[in-house]
Amino acid sequence: MKPLELVDYAKSLDCIHCGLCLRTCPTYQLTGAEPSSPRGRIYLMRAVAEGELAATDPQYREEMDFCLACRHCESVCPAGVRFGEMIETARAGLEKVQPRGIVARTARRIGFGTILRSRFWLSLMATSMRIGQRSGIARLMGKLGRPLVEMPEVPPKSERAPLPAHSPAVGPRKGEVAMLEGCAMRELYGRVNRATVEVLTHIGYDTRVPTKHVCCGALHAHNGEIEGARELARSTIEHFEREGSGPIIVNSAGCGAHMRAYGHLLAEDVAWRERAGRFAARVRDFSEFVAPELPADKKGSLDKDLGVLAYDDPCHLCHGQQIRSQPRTLLERSGAARVDLPDSESCCGSAGIYSLLRPDDSKAVFAKKAAAFRACGAETLVTANPGCHMQWESGLRREGVRARVLHVAEVIAAALRKSRAR
Amino acid sequence: MRRELIDELLGVLGPAGVIHEPTRLLAYECDGLALLRQRPALVLLPRTTDECSRAMRILHREKIPVVGRGAGTGLSGGATPVEGGVLVGFGRMRDVLEVNVADRYARVQAGVVNVDLTLAVEKHGLFYAPDPSSQAACTIGGNVGENSGGPHCFKHGATTRHILGLVIVRDDGSVLDLALPQADPLGYDLVGLFVGSEGMFGLATEITVALVPTPPVTETFLAIFTDLDSACDAVSDAIAAKLEPSALEILDRLTIQAVEASVFAAGYPREAEAVLLIEAEGTEVEVEATLAPMKAIAQKRGAIDMRRARSAAERKKLWAGRKGAFGAMGRIAPDLYVADVVVPRTKLRELVAESTRIAREKRLKLANVFHAGDGNLHPNISYDRRDPDEVKRVLAASDEIMKVVVAAGGSLTGEHGVGLEKQEFMSLVFNDDDLRAMCRVREAWDPEGRMNPGKLIPVHACREMRGTEKPR
Repeated sequence: MKPLELVDYAKSLDCIHCGLCLRTCPTYQLTGAEPSSPRGRIYLMRAVAEGELAATDPQYREEMDFCLACRHCESVCPAGVRFGEMIETARAGLEKVQPRGIVARTARRIGFGTILRSRFWLSLMATSMRIGQRSGIARLMGKLGRPLVEMPEVPPKSERAPLPAHSPAVGPRKGEVAMLEGCAMRELYGRVNRATVEVLTHIGYDTRVPTKHVCCGALHAHNGEIEGARELARSTIEHFEREGSGPIIVNSAGCGAHMRAYGHLLAEDVAWRERAGRFAARVRDFSEFVAPELPADKKGSLDKDLGVLAYDDPCHLCHGQQIRSQPRTLLERSGAARVDLPDSESCCGSAGIYSLLRPDDSKAVFAKKAAAFRACGAETLVTANPGCHMQWESGLRREGVRARVLHVAEVIAAALRKSRAR
Repeated sequence: MRRELIDELLGVLGPAGVIHEPTRLLAYECDGLALLRQRPALVLLPRTTDECSRAMRILHREKIPVVGRGAGTGLSGGATPVEGGVLVGFGRMRDVLEVNVADRYARVQAGVVNVDLTLAVEKHGLFYAPDPSSQAACTIGGNVGENSGGPHCFKHGATTRHILGLVIVRDDGSVLDLALPQADPLGYDLVGLFVGSEGMFGLATEITVALVPTPPVTETFLAIFTDLDSACDAVSDAIAAKLEPSALEILDRLTIQAVEASVFAAGYPREAEAVLLIEAEGTEVEVEATLAPMKAIAQKRGAIDMRRARSAAERKKLWAGRKGAFGAMGRIAPDLYVADVVVPRTKLRELVAESTRIAREKRLKLANVFHAGDGNLHPNISYDRRDPDEVKRVLAASDEIMKVVVAAGGSLTGEHGVGLEKQEFMSLVFNDDDLRAMCRVREAWDPEGRMNPGKLIPVHACREMRGTEKPR
C-alpha cells in the first residue's frame, strides 16, 4: 500500500502550522498534547505521506481514533484545511493497513455491514435493547451492558413505527419536500420525526418519505468504512431520486453534513459524481429550511411548558454546515425563553458511535458541557442531532441534572400546536 | 531516553504528563517555524509548579538540556527542540489562579491561552492588553519568553510592560518566587530581566499580569489605498504629527486576498492595494481628537475610502481577519516565512519597498501585513519546504532584508524573538562585548547552559566566551 493512498497528502499541505485550531479541539483540551490536536494529527498524516512514519504504527492509529471528528477546527482554520475529510481518509487508510482483532472485526461487520443496512435488523436490535433495559438483563451484564444501562430508554414499538410515505400539506400548499427518516432517528427518536413532519406539513409542504431507505452512511464514512459509505450513498441517492427533485429535509445534523458531501465522497466515481452533486445540492437541514418559511407572527407561548431553553449547536450543523442562526431564529419564534449556552459550539462527546467506542473519553468531553449547562440556568436543552440528543439525555442523568432534552423540531411542533389551540 | 528515567518521570507527572512514544514526539518537532525541525527525546507536560520543579530536578541530575514550549506558535524557532533534549510543554497548566479586580491584576498558570485571559476578565470591564495575532492559541508563558507584541502594543506596550510577577522554575528545579504583584520592583528587576529571555533563564510557571480597564469608547476605521507606499506614508505622517491611536496596521493586496478567501473574511476590499486599519480608544473626546487628524492624513495621502466599523461585531471581524492573516497564507503555499524586523517609522515606505524588491529578485512571493505604527514589518514569504532551492532563496532574502533594515537604523526583531532563526544576525547589532555581557547574565541564571541551549546568542560568541574563561 503506497503511503499516498493512506492519507490526503494534498490537503495536509494547506496546514501552515499556525496553531489556531488547538484551543477548539476537544482532545487537545483534555490532554494539552500536540499529537492529540488537529495540527499535530495533520503533522502525523503528512509524515505518513512523506514516508517518515509508518501507517502501521499503533500510536498513529490511537491519535486518529481519539479524534471526535467534530470539525470545530475547520471553523477557525484561516487556511481552510478540510480536516473532516482528512480524518475520514486517514481512518479508511488505517482500515487497509492495520487489521483489527477478530472481535472488533466481527462487531464492525455486523454493525456496519448488517444492522445499519437493514430496517429489520435495526428494529430487532431496538426491541432487544428495550428488553435488555426494562428486564434488568443489561444491568446484570456488567461492563458489557453498561452502555445500554446508561443510554435513554429505547421507546416502545408503537413509537418506532415508520412515517407515512406521504403526508399532505395542511392548509395552503406551497410545494413538496422529501424527508430522511434516518436509521437511528426512527428507532430512538420517532417523536422527532413525527414533529418534523408536523411542522413541514403545517407550513404547507407535502412531505414524502422513502420508507424503504435505511441509512445514509455517515457513520461508515466517519469510521473508515469508505466503501460501505459509498454503497450507501449510491442507494440513498436512488431512493431520493424517486421522490421528485425538491428539497431533501434532514433533521439529523450528522446525516445532513455527510449527505451534503456526497459529491466529494463519489468524486472519483465517474458514473455517479454528477448525480451525487445534484443530490447534495438538494439537502437542507430542518432549521435551515423552516426558519425562512415560518412567519414571525406565529408566536406561541411555551414558557410554562418547557421553561428556559438553551440551544447546543451540534458540531456537524455549525461546523459541518455553517448553520448557526436558523435554529435560534426558530426558537425565538416559538415564544420560549432562551439563554445562551456558553461554548455551545464545542463537542458534547457523542460523535456518532464514539461514545460507544471510547466511553471514558466521551464522558470526559461531556463533563465541560454539563458544567456549562448547569451554569447557564436553563431547564430544557435543545439540540438537532440524534447522537447529541442521546449524549445529553444520558449525560445529564448521570450528572444528576434534571432537565428535558428536545430537538428543535419538537419545540416548534409544540409551539404550533399551542397556537392552533388558542 | 533510558527506560528507568522515563519511569521515574512518570512517577512524578503521571501518564498524561510524559510523552515518550516516538510517533507522538514527532508532532513536537517544530513550532511555528516549520523550517527547523528536531524530534525531542521526551516531552513533559507538568500540571503544577511543583510537578515542574520535581521533574526539573531529575533533568538537572541527568544533565539533560531543556526547552520550554507554550503552544508552539512562535516564529523564530524558540521552541525548536534540541537533540537529546527534553521539551517541557505547558499545555496542561491552563488555570486562571486569581483575578483581582480592585487591584487590577490576574495570576495565571503559564499555559493559559492569551485570549482566554481576556475572556476571563472582560466581565469585570478589564482586559489583558498585549494581543499577538496568534492570541487565540499562544500562551501567556510563551508571551513572557518572547516578550510578545501585538497590534495594540502600539499604545499599550509589549508584554514586558504588563508582567508584574513570576514564579520561575530554575534549571536545577529550585523555585524562584517573584510573584508579588507590585508595579515598581524592589531591588534588581529580575522579572523585567526574565521577560524576553526566550526560555534560557528558566521556566516561568505562574505569571502575574496587569489588567487594563476596557476603554469607554473604541472606534475602528479602515482606510483604503490604491498603493502600498501611500499607506506607509500616512503612518509616517501620523507618527510625525504625534498621534497616538491604539493600533495602526497595514495589510497589502496579497494578504487581503488570502484573508478574504478564508473563514475570517472581514470585508477588506479585494481590489485595494493596501488597507490601513486604524483603532483609537479612550473617551469620546480623546477618540475624536485622534481620529479627526488621522482621517485627514489618510485622505491627504490618497485614501480612496474610509469605512467605519459600525458595531462591536464588525470591529471583531476586522480584527479576526487581521489576526488570521498568517494562517490564511496557507492558501498560497504550504509554508510561510514571517520576517519580523523593526524600522524607523520615517522610513516605512522605502524599507517596505526594499523588501519587496529583494523578494522579487529572488523569485519569491511576498505579502506584507504589519504593525505599521510600531514600524514592525512582517514581510511574509510563501514557500514550500520540500523545495530546497526555494528554501535557500528564502533564507537569502531574509538575510538581505535584515541587513538592509539594520543599515537603516532598524532592529532584528519586533516581537517574535531571536531564537534559532536570527541568532547569527545578532552580531549585526551587537559587538562582542555586548554579547559577552549577555552571556554572563545568562550564566548567572543557568550556569550549565542547559536551558534552551543554542538559541539567541550567536554560536561564535558563546564559544569565545567559554574559550576565554576556561584557562582561568
